[in-house]
Amino acid sequence: MSLARELRDNGALLLANLGRFTLFSGRLVARVPSALRHPRLIVNQVYNTGALSLVIIMLSGLFVGMVLALTGVDLLQRFGSEEEVGAVAAVALVKELGPVVTALLFAGRAGTAVTSEIGLMKATDQLAALQMMAVDPMERICAPRLLGGVIAMPLLAAIFSVVGLVGAYLIAVRVLHVDPGQFWSELKDAMRSRYVREGIWKSCAFGLACSAIAVYQGYVAQATPEGVGRATTRTVVTSSVAVLVLDYIVTAVLL
Amino acid sequence: MTAPNSADPDRGSAAPLVSLDDVHYAVDGRAIFDGLALTIAPRAVTAIMGPSGVGKTTLLRLITGQLRADRGSIVVGGLDLRHAQRAQLYALRRRMGMLFQNGALLTDLDVYENVAYPLREHTRLPEPLIARVVLTKLQAVGLRGAARLMPGQLSGGMGRRVALARAIVMDPELLIYDEPFAGLDPIALGVVLRLIRRLNDLLGITSVVVSHDVREIALLADAAYLLSGGRVVAAGSMDALRNNQAPEVRQFMGGQADGPVPFHYPAPDYAHQLLDEELPV
Repeated sequence: MSLARELRDNGALLLANLGRFTLFSGRLVARVPSALRHPRLIVNQVYNTGALSLVIIMLSGLFVGMVLALTGVDLLQRFGSEEEVGAVAAVALVKELGPVVTALLFAGRAGTAVTSEIGLMKATDQLAALQMMAVDPMERICAPRLLGGVIAMPLLAAIFSVVGLVGAYLIAVRVLHVDPGQFWSELKDAMRSRYVREGIWKSCAFGLACSAIAVYQGYVAQATPEGVGRATTRTVVTSSVAVLVLDYIVTAVLL
Repeated sequence: MTAPNSADPDRGSAAPLVSLDDVHYAVDGRAIFDGLALTIAPRAVTAIMGPSGVGKTTLLRLITGQLRADRGSIVVGGLDLRHAQRAQLYALRRRMGMLFQNGALLTDLDVYENVAYPLREHTRLPEPLIARVVLTKLQAVGLRGAARLMPGQLSGGMGRRVALARAIVMDPELLIYDEPFAGLDPIALGVVLRLIRRLNDLLGITSVVVSHDVREIALLADAAYLLSGGRVVAAGSMDALRNNQAPEVRQFMGGQADGPVPFHYPAPDYAHQLLDEELPV
């Protein structure tokens, strides 16, 4: 009985939070046209969320590509087709791992930074001060961060995939002695524009979701140090789940 | 410093700039205001006083439209905040300045840029003119030399003085001060007191000062309201408040722990709690 009540209460809470998030996202998207009049703010956010995430994205991409090559060659050797490793790595990175892993890393680095920044601005009355100066914080603070994330994510995912392919090449060709010509030709044959398109759609969707969640959590954070801490945790957890759910939805829709 | 209650014969006689009537506001079912009514006369310094937690800052947020009252009417500068659209509210706020309790400076901008921010947002003034206005305001608060410091490099008192410069940079009609004297050293306190008075008298600004510093308020305010229990319990000049014999007013003005406003948060019997072996808390 108490379990049923708890499930019902938690379900109602989840729905209420989802409703609040949806309303907030609607308001946020409505501010995008006016935020576009301040391109410098958007460029700053592309730099903050994108350029400052480059090292972690490239490093992760390199190692993911290297692991793909190691595992791929080991598996494909059983069928005598280890030269296919280039194709496997390319499809996996461009279509799936690039967008998903980039989004998860983005949520952990850029998402938490956005949430804590907005949360602290709220806790120190900076958002209220902007309102008092007749400046809409949704337009000046939130919308540029949303756009920054949406622009940065596909670029980061592309860089992740390219660096991942370099990692796969290094391990497959230089360490495991796969023929380089076959590596590239199999890669080229396997790649379809459909995969690239799917990767781009996914990273755009993930960028939108992760940025909206990060901005929302910062904006509704309790204005205390604990509240901001909890909000950043919620950003990582919610964004990660949202990325995996969206990944399934986008894959199913584009199949 | 110009003495309060003496400078302007029109002061207080014109239609009020801010008017609250039967305002009710509750947070999580707890009533903060229960039928609050008050008016702020134009070109006067009006003090809002009351013990901590009485809702002074909440009142300012209601007046500035950051919060909406559950019931009752709030009219500011002719605009009824109950029915105000966002654009109207923002237009009204361009005529207001607010000094926040903690300064609320934008931490990614330096002192100069913080003060210049409202000018850059709402005017198309050329850069040399913006520089002159900003330096004039910073000079008024004694921080012209700190123009290129970041907010993190300022003390609490300095931060609030910069925030004051930012609040006055657009020459507002209504200036709202939330605890402007907290954390100021005696020199800065004197400067800020004189500045508030001077702004009021020279520029005809209407000032609302929220504070519980009775001594400082007495030097400054033309009129004062004392809040308690979600209502106005006394109103009038500072002299009238000092001579008011109501127990709540006497307790607050005299700074006494005993009186109708409890100093202690409700708790079990003190002796019983100390003598109990398990010391329940």
